[in-house]
Amino acid sequence: MLRLVKAESFKLSKKLKSWLGPLLIMVLVLIAFPLSIDISQFDLDKFYFSIIIVSLLMTSFVATEGMFEEDFEDGSLEQEFLIEKDFYKLVLSKIFVYVCLIGIPIAFIGALFSFANGVAIGSFAKVFLLLSLSNLLLFNLFAFGNALSINKGAMLGVLSSLPLALPVIILLGTAVRSIQFGDGFAAIITLMIGVGLVMSAIMPLIISAALKTHID
Amino acid sequence: MFNLAFENFNEILYMDGHGIYVWSVYSIGTFLIFLSFLIAKKSIRDIQQKIKIKNASS
Amino acid sequence: MLMLGWTWGLLFAPQDAVQGNSYRIIFLHVPSVIFAELIYFFMAVCALMHLVWRVKLGAYLIKSAAPIGAMITFIGLLSGSIWGIPTWGTWWQWDARITSTLILFIMYLGILTLHGSFSNLEKADRLMSILVVIGVVNIPIIKKSVDWWSTLHQPASISVSGGSSIDPSMLYPLLISVIGLGFTLISLGILSSRSYIFIREKNKRWISENV
Repeated sequence: MLRLVKAESFKLSKKLKSWLGPLLIMVLVLIAFPLSIDISQFDLDKFYFSIIIVSLLMTSFVATEGMFEEDFEDGSLEQEFLIEKDFYKLVLSKIFVYVCLIGIPIAFIGALFSFANGVAIGSFAKVFLLLSLSNLLLFNLFAFGNALSINKGAMLGVLSSLPLALPVIILLGTAVRSIQFGDGFAAIITLMIGVGLVMSAIMPLIISAALKTHID
Repeated sequence: MFNLAFENFNEILYMDGHGIYVWSVYSIGTFLIFLSFLIAKKSIRDIQQKIKIKNASS
Repeated sequence: MLMLGWTWGLLFAPQDAVQGNSYRIIFLHVPSVIFAELIYFFMAVCALMHLVWRVKLGAYLIKSAAPIGAMITFIGLLSGSIWGIPTWGTWWQWDARITSTLILFIMYLGILTLHGSFSNLEKADRLMSILVVIGVVNIPIIKKSVDWWSTLHQPASISVSGGSSIDPSMLYPLLISVIGLGFTLISLGILSSRSYIFIREKNKRWISENV
C-alpha cells in the first residue's frame, strides 16, 4: 500500500498540469467572483458559498479528469492487475494522494478566500473542514465517472457522475446553512465524515470493478 | 361523478383559458409515446428484414 | 385503459377549486413521473441480475428500458413545466422535485451515452449496469426531495400507505391513468426489448430459425 501511495504521489507531482491546473482555476474563480459583483459588494458573504460549491464541483472534476487514462494507455493498469489481481489498493491510494495533493490545498485556498469575501474569521476551521470533506466525497464520485469513461472524453465522465453528486450538494447546502446561522454544524460534519468514510471504503471497490471491465 | 364537466365543445377546448396548457401537454405526450411505438415497430421490421436477407443468402 | 383514464379526467372530472382546469395535466404528469422512477428501479434490478448472475437479458432490458425512461421523464418534466405557467406563474423553478427529476433525466442520458461510447458491447453492458446500480441511490432522494427541501412543489397527493388527499372523482381517473400508462409502457418495453434482442442475437441460430 505504501509502495502505491509513494508511486502515485511521485507520478502526480510530476504531472504539473494535473495538480496545478485545478488550484489555479480555484484561485481564478475566487478572484474573478468579487470583481464581477459590482453593485452588491456588501453581500459577498451571502454569495460566496454558492460560488465555492460550484468551484469545488468544477475543480474536483478537472482534477480527476484523466485519473486512470494514462495508466490505462501505458499498460500500468494491466501490470497492477497482474501483480495484485485487483485495483482496490491502487484506487484507494490514488484517491488518497489526489485528496492530499489537490483536495486539501483547494480547501485551504477556499477557506483563505472566505475572509476576503466577508465570512467571519472564526469560521476558517469550519470552512476548511467542510471543503476538505466535500473534496473527499467529490473526488470519489468523479473518480468513478472517470473509471467508467476512462479514455472516452470528459463529457461522458460528467454525464455519468454528476447526477451522483446531488446528495453531496444537498449535504453541502445544509452545512453552509449551519455555518451561516451557527447551529447544528457538528452534527452535519459528523454525518459528512461518516459518509466520507463509507464512500472511501466502498467506492474503490466499485471503481475497481469498472477498471477490471476495461482490462478484460 | 359521470357528468360532463363542460357545456359545449368550445368550453372543452378553451377550459377557462387553460386549454392551451392542458391540450398542448396531452398532444406532446401522446405524440412522443406514439412515436416511440413507431420507432420500436420500425426497428423490429428492419432487423427482421436483415435477418431474412441473411438467411436467404446463406 | 389510458384513453379511458384521460377521457374521464379531461372531460368528466370536476374542475379544481384552486387551480381551475389546469389541474387536468395531473392525469399525464403524475403517471409519467411515477413511471420515470419505477423504470429506473426496474433497470437497477436488471443491472443486479446482470452483474451478479451474468444474465445477458438483464443488460438487454436496461438498454431497451433506458430510452423509454428518458422519454417518460422528459414528458414528466415538460408537463410539469407547462403546468407551472398557470399555477406558479413560471415555467421553471430550481425547485427540489423539478431539479431532482432533471437529474434523473440526465442519468438516463448518461446511461445511454455510456453504452453508446463503447464498440465492445459486453464491456458496455457491464459498465452500464455498474452505473445503473450506483445511480439508484438518487431515487429515494428524488422521492423524498419535497419533504427534505423547502420547495414550491406540493407534497405527494396519493401514497401507497397513507391514503390520498384528493377527491375520489379526481382520484379514480388518476389511478386508471396510472395503470393505463403502465400497460402502455410495458407493451412499449416488450416491443423495444424484442427489437434489441434481435439486434444483439442476430447471428445466433435460434433467431434465424424463428424469423
